[in-house]
Amino acid sequence: MESRKPPPSALVDNHVVPGDVVLDLTEMTNQTIKLGAGLRQDCDTIQATSAGRLRLSKPNKYWVESSQKRYIPSVEDTVLGVVVDTKPDNFLVDIKGPNLAFLPVLAFEGGTRRNIPKFEIGTLIYARVVKANSIMNPELSCMDATGKAAEFGQLKDGYMFDTSTGLSRMLLSSPTCPVLEALGKKLSFEIAVGLNGRVWVNAPSPSNVIVVSNAIIKSESLSGIGQRSMVESLLERLS
Amino acid sequence: MSAAAAATDGTYSPAAAAGEKRRERKEELRRHLAEDADWPRADGRSFHDCRPAFMQTGPTTAASGSAYAEFGKTKVIVSVFGPRESKKAMLYSDTGRLNCNVSYTTFATPIRGQGMDNKEYSAMLHKALEGAVMLHTFPKTTVDVFALVLESGGSDLPIIISCASLALADAGIMIYDLVTSVSVSCFGKNIIIDPTSDEEAWQDGSIMVAYMPARKEITQLTLTGEWSDGKITNAVELCMDACSKLCDILRERLKDAASLAE
Repeated sequence: MESRKPPPSALVDNHVVPGDVVLDLTEMTNQTIKLGAGLRQDCDTIQATSAGRLRLSKPNKYWVESSQKRYIPSVEDTVLGVVVDTKPDNFLVDIKGPNLAFLPVLAFEGGTRRNIPKFEIGTLIYARVVKANSIMNPELSCMDATGKAAEFGQLKDGYMFDTSTGLSRMLLSSPTCPVLEALGKKLSFEIAVGLNGRVWVNAPSPSNVIVVSNAIIKSESLSGIGQRSMVESLLERLS
Repeated sequence: MSAAAAATDGTYSPAAAAGEKRRERKEELRRHLAEDADWPRADGRSFHDCRPAFMQTGPTTAASGSAYAEFGKTKVIVSVFGPRESKKAMLYSDTGRLNCNVSYTTFATPIRGQGMDNKEYSAMLHKALEGAVMLHTFPKTTVDVFALVLESGGSDLPIIISCASLALADAGIMIYDLVTSVSVSCFGKNIIIDPTSDEEAWQDGSIMVAYMPARKEITQLTLTGEWSDGKITNAVELCMDACSKLCDILRERLKDAASLAE
Protein backbone atom coordinates (compact mmCIF):
# COMPACT_ATOMS: atom_id res chain seq x y z
CA MET A 1 0.00 0.00 0.00
CA GLU A 2 1.33 3.43 -0.94
CA SER A 3 2.44 5.53 2.01
CA ARG A 4 0.78 8.94 2.06
CA LYS A 5 1.91 11.97 4.01
CA PRO A 6 -0.24 12.76 7.05
CA PRO A 7 -2.70 15.59 6.44
CA PRO A 8 -1.44 18.61 8.40
CA SER A 9 -3.72 19.20 11.36
CA ALA A 10 -6.18 22.06 11.00
CA LEU A 11 -4.89 23.32 14.34
CA VAL A 12 -1.26 23.81 13.20
CA ASP A 13 0.01 27.29 14.22
CA ASN A 14 -3.17 27.79 16.27
CA HIS A 15 -3.55 27.79 20.03
CA VAL A 16 -4.40 24.49 21.69
CA VAL A 17 -5.28 23.76 25.31
CA PRO A 18 -5.16 20.51 27.32
CA GLY A 19 -7.77 18.05 26.09
CA ASP A 20 -7.92 19.37 22.51
CA VAL A 21 -7.86 16.62 19.87
CA VAL A 22 -5.05 17.57 17.49
CA LEU A 23 -5.05 14.59 15.10
CA ASP A 24 -7.42 11.72 14.38
CA LEU A 25 -5.39 8.59 13.65
CA THR A 26 -8.32 6.69 12.14
CA GLU A 27 -7.92 8.77 8.97
CA MET A 28 -4.21 7.95 8.73
CA THR A 29 -2.93 4.52 7.71
CA ASN A 30 0.65 3.25 7.27
CA GLN A 31 2.09 6.56 8.39
CA THR A 32 4.58 7.53 11.03
CA ILE A 33 4.24 10.72 13.00
CA LYS A 34 6.58 12.00 15.69
CA LEU A 35 5.17 13.62 18.81
CA GLY A 36 7.09 16.25 20.74
CA ALA A 37 6.41 18.12 23.96
CA GLY A 38 2.81 18.76 24.98
CA LEU A 39 1.20 15.93 22.98
CA ARG A 40 0.16 12.36 23.78
CA GLN A 41 -1.63 9.50 22.06
CA ASP A 42 -4.98 8.50 23.52
CA CYS A 43 -6.41 5.50 21.62
CA ASP A 44 -7.03 6.75 18.06
CA THR A 45 -6.42 10.42 18.74
CA ILE A 46 -3.52 12.72 19.50
CA GLN A 47 -4.39 15.10 22.33
CA ALA A 48 -2.72 18.22 23.68
CA THR A 49 -1.54 18.07 27.29
CA SER A 50 -0.34 21.65 27.66
CA ALA A 51 -1.48 25.05 26.46
CA GLY A 52 0.37 26.73 23.60
CA ARG A 53 0.74 26.86 19.82
CA LEU A 54 0.71 23.63 17.85
CA ARG A 55 3.73 23.42 15.54
CA LEU A 56 4.48 21.11 12.61
CA SER A 57 7.97 20.47 11.30
CA LYS A 58 7.54 18.91 7.88
CA PRO A 59 6.99 16.13 7.12
CA ASN A 60 5.71 14.62 10.36
CA LYS A 61 6.88 16.20 13.63
CA TYR A 62 4.23 17.77 15.85
CA TRP A 63 4.74 19.57 19.15
CA VAL A 64 3.19 22.27 21.34
CA GLU A 65 5.27 25.42 21.75
CA SER A 66 4.50 27.21 24.99
CA SER A 67 5.97 29.93 27.16
CA GLN A 68 6.57 29.11 30.82
CA LYS A 69 8.44 30.39 33.82
CA ARG A 70 9.85 26.94 34.62
CA TYR A 71 12.28 25.13 32.34
CA ILE A 72 12.26 21.44 31.42
CA PRO A 73 15.84 20.41 30.51
CA SER A 74 16.44 19.05 27.02
CA VAL A 75 19.66 17.72 25.47
CA GLU A 76 21.76 20.25 23.49
CA ASP A 77 20.00 23.26 25.04
CA THR A 78 22.27 26.14 26.01
CA VAL A 79 21.45 27.41 29.49
CA LEU A 80 22.52 30.03 32.01
CA GLY A 81 23.06 28.47 35.42
CA VAL A 82 23.96 29.71 38.87
CA VAL A 83 26.36 27.66 41.01
CA VAL A 84 24.61 26.82 44.29
CA ASP A 85 27.04 24.27 45.75
CA THR A 86 30.44 22.72 45.08
CA LYS A 87 31.31 19.05 45.52
CA PRO A 88 34.67 17.31 44.94
CA ASP A 89 33.59 15.89 41.56
CA ASN A 90 31.02 18.38 40.33
CA PHE A 91 29.29 21.70 40.81
CA LEU A 92 25.57 21.87 41.59
CA VAL A 93 23.96 24.39 39.26
CA ASP A 94 20.47 25.92 39.35
CA ILE A 95 19.05 26.07 35.81
CA LYS A 96 15.42 26.88 36.79
CA GLY A 97 14.50 23.23 36.24
CA PRO A 98 12.75 20.72 38.49
CA ASN A 99 16.13 19.52 39.81
CA LEU A 100 19.59 20.99 40.24
CA ALA A 101 22.01 20.18 37.41
CA PHE A 102 25.47 18.60 37.75
CA LEU A 103 28.46 20.26 36.11
CA PRO A 104 31.44 17.85 36.34
CA VAL A 105 34.73 19.53 37.24
CA LEU A 106 36.30 17.88 34.16
CA ALA A 107 33.64 19.20 31.74
CA PHE A 108 35.84 22.13 30.69
CA GLU A 109 38.31 22.49 27.83
CA GLY A 110 41.51 20.71 28.81
CA GLY A 111 39.93 19.79 32.12
CA THR A 112 42.16 17.60 34.30
CA ARG A 113 42.44 16.90 38.01
CA ARG A 114 45.27 19.44 38.21
CA ASN A 115 43.45 22.46 36.81
CA ILE A 116 40.01 22.20 38.36
CA PRO A 117 38.17 25.55 38.05
CA LYS A 118 37.34 27.37 41.27
CA PHE A 119 33.76 28.66 41.18
CA GLU A 120 32.26 30.39 44.17
CA ILE A 121 28.59 30.00 45.06
CA GLY A 122 26.59 32.47 42.97
CA THR A 123 28.85 32.28 39.91
CA LEU A 124 26.98 32.59 36.61
CA ILE A 125 27.83 29.94 34.01
CA TYR A 126 26.88 29.52 30.36
CA ALA A 127 26.70 25.79 29.64
CA ARG A 128 25.25 23.10 27.41
CA VAL A 129 22.89 20.32 28.54
CA VAL A 130 24.46 16.95 27.70
CA LYS A 131 22.15 14.63 29.64
CA ALA A 132 18.49 15.23 30.41
CA ASN A 133 16.35 12.53 31.92
CA SER A 134 13.20 12.93 33.98
CA ILE A 135 14.42 10.56 36.71
CA MET A 136 18.00 11.89 36.87
CA ASN A 137 19.52 15.27 37.53
CA PRO A 138 20.53 16.95 34.26
CA GLU A 139 24.23 17.07 33.37
CA LEU A 140 25.93 20.15 31.92
CA SER A 141 29.15 20.73 30.05
CA CYS A 142 31.18 23.85 29.28
CA MET A 143 32.49 22.39 26.02
CA ASP A 144 30.94 22.06 22.58
CA ALA A 145 30.69 18.71 20.76
CA THR A 146 34.32 18.98 19.58
CA GLY A 147 35.69 19.51 23.10
CA LYS A 148 36.42 23.22 22.65
CA ALA A 149 35.30 25.84 25.18
CA ALA A 150 33.61 27.88 22.41
CA GLU A 151 31.41 30.51 24.09
CA PHE A 152 30.78 28.43 27.21
CA GLY A 153 32.14 29.09 30.69
CA GLN A 154 31.90 31.66 33.45
CA LEU A 155 30.19 34.98 32.70
CA LYS A 156 31.83 37.85 34.54
CA ASP A 157 30.40 41.33 35.22
CA GLY A 158 27.17 42.23 33.41
CA TYR A 159 23.60 41.80 34.58
CA MET A 160 21.42 38.69 34.55
CA PHE A 161 17.60 38.69 34.60
CA ASP A 162 14.85 36.09 34.32
CA THR A 163 12.33 35.94 31.47
CA SER A 164 9.92 33.31 30.16
CA THR A 165 11.13 30.38 28.07
CA GLY A 166 9.10 31.74 25.15
CA LEU A 167 10.98 35.05 25.14
CA SER A 168 14.38 33.35 25.31
CA ARG A 169 13.41 31.18 22.32
CA MET A 170 12.36 34.32 20.44
CA LEU A 171 15.70 36.02 21.19
CA LEU A 172 17.59 33.00 19.83
CA SER A 173 15.40 32.60 16.75
CA SER A 174 16.65 33.02 13.21
CA PRO A 175 16.45 35.58 11.54
CA THR A 176 17.66 37.88 14.31
CA CYS A 177 14.97 39.09 16.68
CA PRO A 178 13.86 42.68 15.78
CA VAL A 179 14.58 44.04 19.28
CA LEU A 180 18.21 42.82 19.22
CA GLU A 181 18.68 43.98 15.64
CA ALA A 182 17.41 47.49 16.47
CA LEU A 183 19.52 47.72 19.63
CA GLY A 184 22.64 46.39 17.87
CA LYS A 185 22.55 49.20 15.30
CA LYS A 186 22.86 51.91 17.97
CA LEU A 187 24.52 50.33 21.02
CA SER A 188 27.45 48.02 21.65
CA PHE A 189 26.70 45.23 24.11
CA GLU A 190 27.27 41.54 24.81
CA ILE A 191 24.36 39.18 25.37
CA ALA A 192 24.03 35.53 26.37
CA VAL A 193 20.60 33.92 26.21
CA GLY A 194 19.80 30.63 27.89
CA LEU A 195 16.86 28.54 26.72
CA ASN A 196 15.96 28.21 30.39
CA GLY A 197 14.62 31.78 30.42
CA ARG A 198 17.70 33.63 31.66
CA VAL A 199 19.42 36.48 29.85
CA TRP A 200 22.83 38.02 30.62
CA VAL A 201 23.71 41.47 29.29
CA ASN A 202 27.01 43.32 29.48
CA ALA A 203 27.88 46.74 28.05
CA PRO A 204 30.57 49.42 28.53
CA SER A 205 28.22 51.67 30.52
CA PRO A 206 25.55 50.76 33.12
CA SER A 207 22.97 52.95 31.33
CA ASN A 208 23.35 50.81 28.19
CA VAL A 209 22.86 47.63 30.24
CA ILE A 210 19.64 49.05 31.72
CA VAL A 211 18.30 50.13 28.30
CA VAL A 212 19.03 46.76 26.69
CA SER A 213 17.53 44.83 29.63
CA ASN A 214 14.36 46.93 29.69
CA ALA A 215 13.96 46.68 25.92
CA ILE A 216 14.22 42.88 26.04
CA ILE A 217 11.79 42.54 28.96
CA LYS A 218 9.22 44.82 27.28
CA SER A 219 9.55 43.09 23.89
CA GLU A 220 7.77 39.89 24.96
CA SER A 221 4.25 41.11 24.22
CA LEU A 222 5.12 43.25 21.17
CA SER A 223 5.15 42.56 17.43
CA GLY A 224 8.25 43.16 15.28
CA ILE A 225 7.19 46.71 14.38
CA GLY A 226 6.23 47.41 17.99
CA GLN A 227 9.65 46.23 19.16
CA ARG A 228 11.47 48.56 16.76
CA SER A 229 9.41 51.61 17.74
CA MET A 230 9.84 50.78 21.44
CA VAL A 231 13.64 50.60 21.01
CA GLU A 232 13.64 53.94 19.16
CA SER A 233 11.70 55.66 21.96
CA LEU A 234 14.06 54.19 24.59
CA LEU A 235 17.15 55.35 22.69
CA GLU A 236 15.68 58.85 22.25
CA ARG A 237 15.39 59.16 26.02
CA LEU A 238 18.97 57.92 26.42
CA SER A 239 20.50 60.50 24.07
CA MET B 1 -23.55 60.07 80.48
CA SER B 2 -26.82 60.64 78.60
CA ALA B 3 -24.91 62.32 75.76
CA ALA B 4 -22.68 59.27 75.47
CA ALA B 5 -25.71 56.99 75.45
CA ALA B 6 -27.37 59.10 72.77
CA ALA B 7 -24.22 58.98 70.66
CA THR B 8 -24.14 55.22 71.02
CA ASP B 9 -27.79 54.92 69.98
CA GLY B 10 -27.23 57.14 66.95
CA THR B 11 -24.17 55.19 65.76
CA TYR B 12 -24.81 53.26 62.53
CA SER B 13 -23.61 49.65 62.70
CA PRO B 14 -23.21 48.13 59.22
CA ALA B 15 -22.73 44.66 60.72
CA ALA B 16 -26.04 44.87 62.58
CA ALA B 17 -27.87 46.12 59.48
CA ALA B 18 -26.35 43.37 57.35
CA GLY B 19 -27.26 40.78 59.97
CA GLU B 20 -30.85 42.04 59.97
CA LYS B 21 -31.05 41.75 56.18
CA ARG B 22 -29.61 38.24 56.30
CA ARG B 23 -32.19 37.20 58.89
CA GLU B 24 -35.01 38.57 56.71
CA ARG B 25 -33.70 36.69 53.67
CA LYS B 26 -33.43 33.45 55.64
CA GLU B 27 -36.98 33.83 56.96
CA GLU B 28 -38.24 34.37 53.40
CA LEU B 29 -36.29 31.34 52.17
CA ARG B 30 -37.67 29.18 55.00
CA ARG B 31 -41.22 30.26 54.11
CA HIS B 32 -40.71 29.33 50.44
CA LEU B 33 -39.25 25.96 51.40
CA ALA B 34 -42.22 25.21 53.65
CA GLU B 35 -44.52 25.85 50.69
CA ASP B 36 -42.23 23.72 48.41
CA ALA B 37 -43.09 26.02 45.52
CA ASP B 38 -40.99 27.82 42.92
CA TRP B 39 -39.43 30.92 44.43
CA PRO B 40 -37.18 33.72 43.20
CA ARG B 41 -33.49 33.48 44.13
CA ALA B 42 -31.98 36.43 46.01
CA ASP B 43 -29.78 37.43 43.04
CA GLY B 44 -32.57 37.09 40.47
CA ARG B 45 -31.21 33.93 38.80
CA SER B 46 -33.39 31.03 37.72
CA PHE B 47 -32.76 27.62 39.33
CA HIS B 48 -30.55 26.44 36.45
CA ASP B 49 -28.48 29.61 36.03
CA CYS B 50 -24.89 29.94 37.23
CA ARG B 51 -23.51 33.19 38.62
CA PRO B 52 -21.64 35.50 36.20
CA ALA B 53 -18.03 34.30 36.01
CA PHE B 54 -14.79 36.23 35.57
CA MET B 55 -11.49 34.37 35.22
CA GLN B 56 -7.96 35.55 34.58
CA THR B 57 -4.49 33.97 34.40
CA GLY B 58 -1.21 35.28 35.75
CA PRO B 59 -2.10 37.54 38.71
CA THR B 60 0.79 36.20 40.83
CA THR B 61 4.11 37.02 39.16
CA ALA B 62 6.28 34.95 41.51
CA ALA B 63 4.42 31.69 40.84
CA SER B 64 5.01 29.27 37.94
CA GLY B 65 1.33 29.69 37.10
CA SER B 66 -1.63 31.40 38.72
CA ALA B 67 -5.29 32.19 38.18
CA TYR B 68 -8.00 34.40 39.67
CA ALA B 69 -11.70 33.54 39.61
CA GLU B 70 -14.74 35.54 40.58
CA PHE B 71 -18.19 33.93 40.62
CA GLY B 72 -20.68 36.41 41.99
CA LYS B 73 -19.40 37.26 45.46
CA THR B 74 -16.97 34.32 45.65
CA LYS B 75 -13.40 35.40 44.88
CA VAL B 76 -10.51 32.94 44.71
CA ILE B 77 -6.84 33.18 43.77
CA VAL B 78 -4.74 30.06 43.08
CA SER B 79 -0.94 29.91 42.70
CA VAL B 80 1.01 26.93 41.39
CA PHE B 81 4.70 26.46 42.22
CA GLY B 82 6.97 23.85 40.66
CA PRO B 83 7.70 21.22 39.60
CA ARG B 84 10.42 21.59 42.22
CA GLU B 85 12.62 19.13 44.07
CA SER B 86 10.85 17.19 46.81
CA LYS B 87 12.15 17.67 50.34
CA LYS B 88 15.02 15.34 51.21
CA ALA B 89 12.94 13.83 54.03
CA MET B 90 10.46 12.39 51.52
CA LEU B 91 11.09 8.93 50.11
CA TYR B 92 11.98 8.40 46.44
CA SER B 93 8.98 8.33 44.13
CA ASP B 94 9.02 7.59 40.40
CA THR B 95 5.90 9.73 40.01
CA GLY B 96 5.54 13.35 41.02
CA ARG B 97 3.67 14.61 44.06
CA LEU B 98 0.76 17.00 44.07
CA ASN B 99 0.52 19.11 47.20
CA CYS B 100 -2.71 21.10 47.64
CA ASN B 101 -3.53 23.69 50.26
CA VAL B 102 -6.74 25.70 50.63
CA SER B 103 -6.87 28.63 53.02
CA TYR B 104 -9.25 31.48 53.81
CA THR B 105 -8.41 35.11 54.49
CA THR B 106 -9.54 36.60 57.81
CA PHE B 107 -12.09 38.74 55.95
CA ALA B 108 -13.44 35.98 53.66
CA THR B 109 -16.62 35.32 55.63
CA PRO B 110 -19.16 37.76 57.14
CA ILE B 111 -18.06 36.73 60.64
CA ARG B 112 -14.52 38.08 60.82
CA GLY B 113 -12.13 35.53 62.28
CA GLN B 114 -8.85 33.75 61.92
CA GLY B 115 -7.54 33.07 58.41
CA MET B 116 -7.53 29.30 58.47
CA ASP B 117 -6.30 26.34 56.44
CA ASN B 118 -9.20 24.15 55.38
CA LYS B 119 -7.86 20.57 55.62
CA GLU B 120 -11.04 19.01 54.23
CA TYR B 121 -11.10 21.25 51.17
CA SER B 122 -7.36 20.68 50.64
CA ALA B 123 -7.91 16.91 50.53
CA MET B 124 -10.88 17.26 48.18
CA LEU B 125 -8.96 19.60 45.86
CA HIS B 126 -6.13 17.05 45.72
CA LYS B 127 -8.59 14.27 44.92
CA ALA B 128 -10.21 16.29 42.13
CA LEU B 129 -6.92 17.28 40.46
CA GLU B 130 -4.76 14.17 40.83
CA GLY B 131 -6.76 12.33 38.16
CA ALA B 132 -6.03 15.07 35.64
CA VAL B 133 -2.36 15.83 36.35
CA MET B 134 0.21 13.64 34.54
CA LEU B 135 2.24 12.90 37.67
CA HIS B 136 4.59 10.50 35.86
CA THR B 137 6.02 13.39 33.81
CA PHE B 138 7.82 14.91 36.79
CA PRO B 139 9.27 12.12 38.99
CA LYS B 140 11.05 12.97 42.27
CA THR B 141 9.48 16.42 42.24
CA THR B 142 6.49 18.21 43.75
CA VAL B 143 3.90 20.58 42.35
CA ASP B 144 2.39 22.85 44.99
CA VAL B 145 -1.11 24.27 44.53
CA PHE B 146 -2.03 27.05 46.96
CA ALA B 147 -5.61 28.33 46.89
CA LEU B 148 -6.65 31.42 48.81
CA VAL B 149 -10.32 32.34 49.20
CA LEU B 150 -10.51 36.13 49.29
CA GLU B 151 -14.28 36.25 49.72
CA SER B 152 -16.63 33.38 50.41
CA GLY B 153 -20.01 33.72 48.75
CA GLY B 154 -21.00 30.06 48.45
CA SER B 155 -19.89 27.12 46.24
CA ASP B 156 -16.28 27.78 47.24
CA LEU B 157 -14.78 24.36 46.49
CA PRO B 158 -16.05 24.02 42.89
CA ILE B 159 -14.64 27.46 42.08
CA ILE B 160 -11.31 26.57 43.74
CA ILE B 161 -11.08 23.38 41.63
CA SER B 162 -11.84 25.18 38.34
CA CYS B 163 -9.43 27.99 39.19
CA ALA B 164 -6.67 25.52 40.20
CA SER B 165 -7.09 23.70 36.90
CA LEU B 166 -6.62 26.99 35.03
CA ALA B 167 -3.53 27.80 37.13
CA LEU B 168 -2.01 24.36 36.39
CA ALA B 169 -2.49 24.88 32.66
CA ASP B 170 -0.97 28.37 32.98
CA ALA B 171 2.07 26.86 34.75
CA GLY B 172 2.64 24.46 31.85
CA ILE B 173 2.06 21.37 33.99
CA MET B 174 1.09 18.42 31.78
CA ILE B 175 -2.59 17.62 32.33
CA TYR B 176 -4.91 15.22 30.51
CA ASP B 177 -7.69 17.79 30.39
CA LEU B 178 -8.96 20.89 32.16
CA VAL B 179 -10.99 20.07 35.27
CA THR B 180 -14.12 22.11 35.89
CA SER B 181 -16.43 21.77 38.83
CA VAL B 182 -20.00 22.79 39.67
CA SER B 183 -22.25 22.09 42.65
CA VAL B 184 -26.03 21.85 42.94
CA SER B 185 -28.28 22.04 45.98
CA CYS B 186 -31.56 20.29 46.61
CA PHE B 187 -34.50 22.20 48.13
CA GLY B 188 -37.53 19.95 48.42
CA LYS B 189 -38.44 19.11 44.83
CA ASN B 190 -36.22 21.83 43.38
CA ILE B 191 -32.61 21.49 42.23
CA ILE B 192 -30.65 24.74 42.08
CA ILE B 193 -27.24 25.15 40.50
CA ASP B 194 -24.29 27.14 41.88
CA PRO B 195 -25.84 27.97 45.28
CA THR B 196 -24.84 31.04 47.30
CA SER B 197 -23.82 30.79 50.97
CA ASP B 198 -27.37 31.67 52.13
CA GLU B 199 -28.82 28.91 49.94
CA GLU B 200 -26.19 26.43 51.14
CA ALA B 201 -27.24 27.11 54.73
CA TRP B 202 -30.80 25.85 54.07
CA GLN B 203 -30.23 23.07 51.52
CA ASP B 204 -31.59 19.54 52.03
CA GLY B 205 -28.63 18.08 50.18
CA SER B 206 -25.87 18.92 47.72
CA ILE B 207 -23.90 17.32 44.91
CA MET B 208 -20.53 18.53 43.67
CA VAL B 209 -19.07 17.18 40.43
CA ALA B 210 -15.50 17.71 39.17
CA TYR B 211 -15.43 16.81 35.48
CA MET B 212 -13.03 16.59 32.53
CA PRO B 213 -15.24 17.53 29.56
CA ALA B 214 -12.95 16.48 26.69
CA ARG B 215 -12.41 13.02 28.20
CA LYS B 216 -15.95 12.78 29.59
CA GLU B 217 -14.58 11.64 32.95
CA ILE B 218 -15.68 12.58 36.45
CA THR B 219 -12.68 13.03 38.74
CA GLN B 220 -14.71 13.60 41.89
CA LEU B 221 -18.33 13.35 42.99
CA THR B 222 -19.38 14.46 46.46
CA LEU B 223 -22.91 13.89 47.70
CA THR B 224 -24.45 15.07 50.96
CA GLY B 225 -27.99 14.96 52.33
CA GLU B 226 -31.09 13.14 51.11
CA TRP B 227 -31.46 12.37 47.39
CA SER B 228 -33.66 10.06 45.33
CA ASP B 229 -32.15 8.07 42.42
CA GLY B 230 -33.91 10.08 39.72
CA LYS B 231 -32.95 13.37 41.30
CA ILE B 232 -29.28 12.33 41.55
CA THR B 233 -29.20 11.51 37.82
CA ASN B 234 -30.76 14.87 36.93
CA ALA B 235 -28.39 16.74 39.23
CA VAL B 236 -25.25 15.04 37.87
CA GLU B 237 -26.34 15.66 34.26
CA LEU B 238 -27.00 19.30 35.11
CA CYS B 239 -23.54 19.60 36.68
CA MET B 240 -21.81 17.95 33.72
CA ASP B 241 -23.56 20.27 31.28
CA ALA B 242 -22.55 23.33 33.33
CA CYS B 243 -18.96 22.00 33.60
CA SER B 244 -18.73 21.71 29.80
CA LYS B 245 -19.86 25.32 29.39
CA LEU B 246 -17.45 26.49 32.10
CA CYS B 247 -14.64 24.62 30.35
CA ASP B 248 -15.24 26.72 27.22
CA ILE B 249 -14.63 29.85 29.32
CA LEU B 250 -11.39 28.36 30.68
CA ARG B 251 -10.22 27.49 27.15
CA GLU B 252 -10.91 31.04 25.95
CA ARG B 253 -8.98 32.46 28.90
CA LEU B 254 -5.95 30.28 28.14
CA LYS B 255 -6.02 31.18 24.45
CA ASP B 256 -6.37 34.89 25.29
CA ALA B 257 -3.38 34.67 27.65
CA ALA B 258 -1.26 32.87 25.03
CA SER B 259 -2.09 35.36 22.27
CA LEU B 260 -1.41 38.26 24.66
CA ALA B 261 2.06 36.84 25.41
CA GLU B 262 2.82 36.86 21.70
